Amino acid sequence: MIRRDSPWAIMTPVNDRIRLAMIFSILGGMANLGALGLVALALASLISAPEEAPWTFLCGALVCTVGSYALRIASFNTSHYAAYHLETLLRMQLANHLGQIPLGRIQDFGAGTLTKVLHDDVRALHVFVADSTPLYARAYAMPLATFAVLVWLDWRLAVAAICVLVCGFGVLALAMRNFPEMVRRYNDAREQVSAAVIEFVQAMPVVRTFDTGHSTFGRFQRALDAYLAVVTEWYRGAGFSARFSLSVLGPLPTLLVLLWMGTWLVFRDTLDISTWLATLLIGVGMAEAMMPMMTLNHMVDKTKLSIARIREVLDEKTLPEPATPPGPAVADASVAFEHVSFGYEDGSVALDDVTFHVAPGTVTALVGPSGAGKTTVARLIARFWDVGEGRVRIGGVDIREMETDALMGQIAMVFQDAFLFAGSVADNIRLGSEQATLDEVIEAAKIARAHEFITQLPKGYDTLAGDRGVLLSGGQRQRITIARAVLQNRPILVLDEATAFTDPENEAALIDALSSLMQGRTVIMVAHRLTTVRDANQILVFEAGRLAEAADHDALIEKGGVYARLWTSGDAARNWAVGGVQEAGPE
Amino acid sequence: MMAAPDKSATQHLDVPWRKTFRRLLAAAGASGGQLRRSLFGLSAAAATQGLALACLVPLFSAVIADRDPKTAIAWLVAMSALSLAAIAIRWRAQGFDYSGQMSKATHDLRLRLGEQLRRMPLEKLQDRRSGEINATLLGNVDENFSYTLIVSDLIFTALVTPLVASLAVLFYDWKLGLLLLAIFPAIIPLYRWRRPVHARGRRALDDMHQRMNADIVEYVQGLPAVRAARRSGERAATLKHTFDELETLQTVEHRASANPNVIIASIVEIGLLVVVAAGVMLVIIGQTEIAVLAAVAVMVSRFAEPLATFVTYTVVIEMIEAALDRIDLLLAEKPLPRKLPERQPDGAEIRFEEVTFQYMKSNRPALENFSAILPPRSLTALVGPSGSGKSTIARLLLRHADPQHGSVRIGGADVREIRQEKLNALTSVVFQDVYLFDDTVLNNIRMARPDASDAEVESAARSACCTEFIEKLPEGWRTRIGDVGGKLSGGERQRLSIARALLKDAPIVILDEPTAVLDSQSERAVQTAIDALVRDKTVLVIAHRLSTVAGADRILVLDEGRVIESGRHAELLAANGRYRAMWDIQSQTRRWRRAEDALATK
Repeated sequence: MIRRDSPWAIMTPVNDRIRLAMIFSILGGMANLGALGLVALALASLISAPEEAPWTFLCGALVCTVGSYALRIASFNTSHYAAYHLETLLRMQLANHLGQIPLGRIQDFGAGTLTKVLHDDVRALHVFVADSTPLYARAYAMPLATFAVLVWLDWRLAVAAICVLVCGFGVLALAMRNFPEMVRRYNDAREQVSAAVIEFVQAMPVVRTFDTGHSTFGRFQRALDAYLAVVTEWYRGAGFSARFSLSVLGPLPTLLVLLWMGTWLVFRDTLDISTWLATLLIGVGMAEAMMPMMTLNHMVDKTKLSIARIREVLDEKTLPEPATPPGPAVADASVAFEHVSFGYEDGSVALDDVTFHVAPGTVTALVGPSGAGKTTVARLIARFWDVGEGRVRIGGVDIREMETDALMGQIAMVFQDAFLFAGSVADNIRLGSEQATLDEVIEAAKIARAHEFITQLPKGYDTLAGDRGVLLSGGQRQRITIARAVLQNRPILVLDEATAFTDPENEAALIDALSSLMQGRTVIMVAHRLTTVRDANQILVFEAGRLAEAADHDALIEKGGVYARLWTSGDAARNWAVGGVQEAGPE
Repeated sequence: MMAAPDKSATQHLDVPWRKTFRRLLAAAGASGGQLRRSLFGLSAAAATQGLALACLVPLFSAVIADRDPKTAIAWLVAMSALSLAAIAIRWRAQGFDYSGQMSKATHDLRLRLGEQLRRMPLEKLQDRRSGEINATLLGNVDENFSYTLIVSDLIFTALVTPLVASLAVLFYDWKLGLLLLAIFPAIIPLYRWRRPVHARGRRALDDMHQRMNADIVEYVQGLPAVRAARRSGERAATLKHTFDELETLQTVEHRASANPNVIIASIVEIGLLVVVAAGVMLVIIGQTEIAVLAAVAVMVSRFAEPLATFVTYTVVIEMIEAALDRIDLLLAEKPLPRKLPERQPDGAEIRFEEVTFQYMKSNRPALENFSAILPPRSLTALVGPSGSGKSTIARLLLRHADPQHGSVRIGGADVREIRQEKLNALTSVVFQDVYLFDDTVLNNIRMARPDASDAEVESAARSACCTEFIEKLPEGWRTRIGDVGGKLSGGERQRLSIARALLKDAPIVILDEPTAVLDSQSERAVQTAIDALVRDKTVLVIAHRLSTVAGADRILVLDEGRVIESGRHAELLAANGRYRAMWDIQSQTRRWRRAEDALATK
């Protein structure tokens, strides 16, 4: 059977079709041999009986020829359709899998990398699956079959022909000894070129501002030079053996050997002309049939990297689901962390023994310097990852005992980067509540302070949003996602820096919108700016992964701890002005 | 004699192939001559191979008909010599690949394209789509050309060898020779007919792939929202639909291109067999020697498959053509024009004179009739809603693009009259998002002034409040950014970019929302760093938060590309206009409304 780590394993879902393609390909090759054999028979009959037309043989040859290319094309088509279907299957499988692995892992990979896997890497399989499989089958089967026929015709010529083949392949094998090492070095150099190119293009605005000569071009140039050196070394190293085996495996050497030896044997009368012609018709292509193997191995090697990346994603562990979905029912909209510790993959500790309780219907703010763990808390509630130790409870139920859908039914999230997809504005608001009527959508938009600007869009609620639609400002996009959260109407609301990227005028509307959304919900919000949190029922102050303080604003200020310090330095920051001179700060 | 068949072959094949050939040579630059020789070598090798095969006819005559060992051996020797010659010529021609000339040519081309990216207007480069395309082009330029010789060899062997061999057969037996030659004219129109079908299909597939890529990007980026909405995986209807649609299109396109394949294969393979059958008839009626027929049959057995399938290799040529198209497109981009005579700016005064500017893909001006004077060592602030033209002003000053109307002057000189390098040296920019290179911390700062000593770099870093966090990094100043990139906070990255700007010490400083996304603690440190940077400089600040720029010498309030108010902070507050309104809103929105307020406004 195929080993799981072999590149061939990637085709498992379409194995049957690929196998069929390979069988067609081999049968096509056999039919070709048959056609050549029948032409040889026709010539033989003509030699023995020059007046008689060998129609039977010629008709047979016609049938075999048609069969041969029909099968060849059928094989080609079958493997192509299989490859196309494999693309669909793999992409769906990947998309599905991404829906089940921890969201945190998706952020680790990055959207760019994952898109590349789903699009480019899956696409890169095509050459391997569609083009190489029929050729592989033939490259293995044809020389064997040809050799068998040659031996049957005349063993001496068969031995001569196989010698040519062995000679070509021997040199080739010798040349391939360092192949894996060269491929590795080549791939390394290539990756560095890609990185340098991306850096070169992306960093161009920065590079330009420092570009007072040629110095910044150097990084790009160095990567290219290193790559050129590797490639040149490879080509030069492989130059002799590759050209030698290409020359030997071509049709001319085999043909010449069969001709010289055949002529000699014919004149010595130990070989009759008909047999000789038959070996010439059939045998000359023997070595050539193996040629695709050289290029194919190279193609498969290139695909290996893509396959490895696809596997890496598919091998990510999915979040465990409860044995008996949907799991126990939640009692209320409370959120509790009980001795939660959590570390990231790279070993850094993000949260250390964090315990707190959020009562239903209250507002809790998470504050602290960046990297203190507040965003991690917000994301653990939505199960971006599972906790390392301790537990997170919603309404008294450990979230790991809830079905993902049930958990999502409890939480609405508003992130700092508002996500809109390419559908209409109305459909964007409807995401997650597809059954909502337009009136309900409009009602939600009104609550989110979005109705007014939506009605001013060219097609109102039917205007296309997202990258391929109208340009909306950050604040407007954010208000659409808030309308979405209003419509989803979930008891717990998690806000992660929801107001970070908006300009002041939008911020006012946005904060209005969020304030409405927060009504009657349990709210947990991450905030960088302290001014936005002073009215929260509870403020949790994080420092280096630990919960340092927890109380409301007044109590924390009075206490004079971390929060009070942050507040004072925040005051200074708020009143800072470029150049230092400021007449009067707000507030 | 060798060149002649090759020439006729290229003439028979589409004219565009000759164009492709010329463009390919142009793309190879200095190696163009060698590439030309190499391709001619390959066709000559194919022709010689055809001549070698043609020796089969006299050889078979000597062995089968005349039973004359001497003549047979003579022809065998001739054939061996021609074969060796063919192999030797091909060997030499392949040297273009194997001695590294091909790699050198693509390397040079890549450098040329890189140089072009460096000169083209940033406005064009920053367009996300074209940025991606250029990156791919630059990354894969060698892959696009690496199969040139292999495919040329395959096509020459498929076409030129049979053609030459058939012409040679004419000498021995004109009837069989003519029959063989009749196959060729039949293939060419078929190829021409197949080509447009192919090109159309390719475009449709390209579009579809682009659409799918956009859908995938959307799905992956939106996963948190998609999952929160319980619409991931199988339930992502659009995505599933797109995947299915792609497969359908791929299948349809493949079928469309498969039909011509069947027809070409039928014509070639059945045609060649008909030639053999006709030969059999000619032998029976005594018009042809059986030896000639046997030789033709052996040759034909070698020609059939390459001739029937060479069309599939032409896909590679189309790929090369597509790459050449994109290369031409990129090389055609002109850098921003220089205005002569060159002028040296005198001082650091900045002047915008009735500037109107519109982005390429926009339908309204980003800036309209904008005039302003920024005296040396003054602090000017730009405020206004997003899209009001603030960043455009900074970009025009940096000459990412030229205004359609009016001029931007530094120290009296129009920026179009200043050499780009000189212009770059005049300004330091601190952007909102900081680009760090995968190099050491030290070198990341040093790129602002490559000849700066370690001490100078460290001093700049100290002024930018970087020393403390840099020394905590695993390898201090020698830590590679790639190893810790993700772990540096926004504020730390920002301070590194300020250290760069400090080291560069340019007379003009542009700050683009430098503290927008920082937390309170980082913000303080960045602010201290900025204070060090702006001392004695002509400063242009773009800010959302008005308090940041309350101390500016002049504040320009922009809306929809026009200045609607200007003055000092106190003057603008007193004027009770737009600035005042913004200021009031910002003072308010610092606090969330309590629940009861929210209910009251409802």
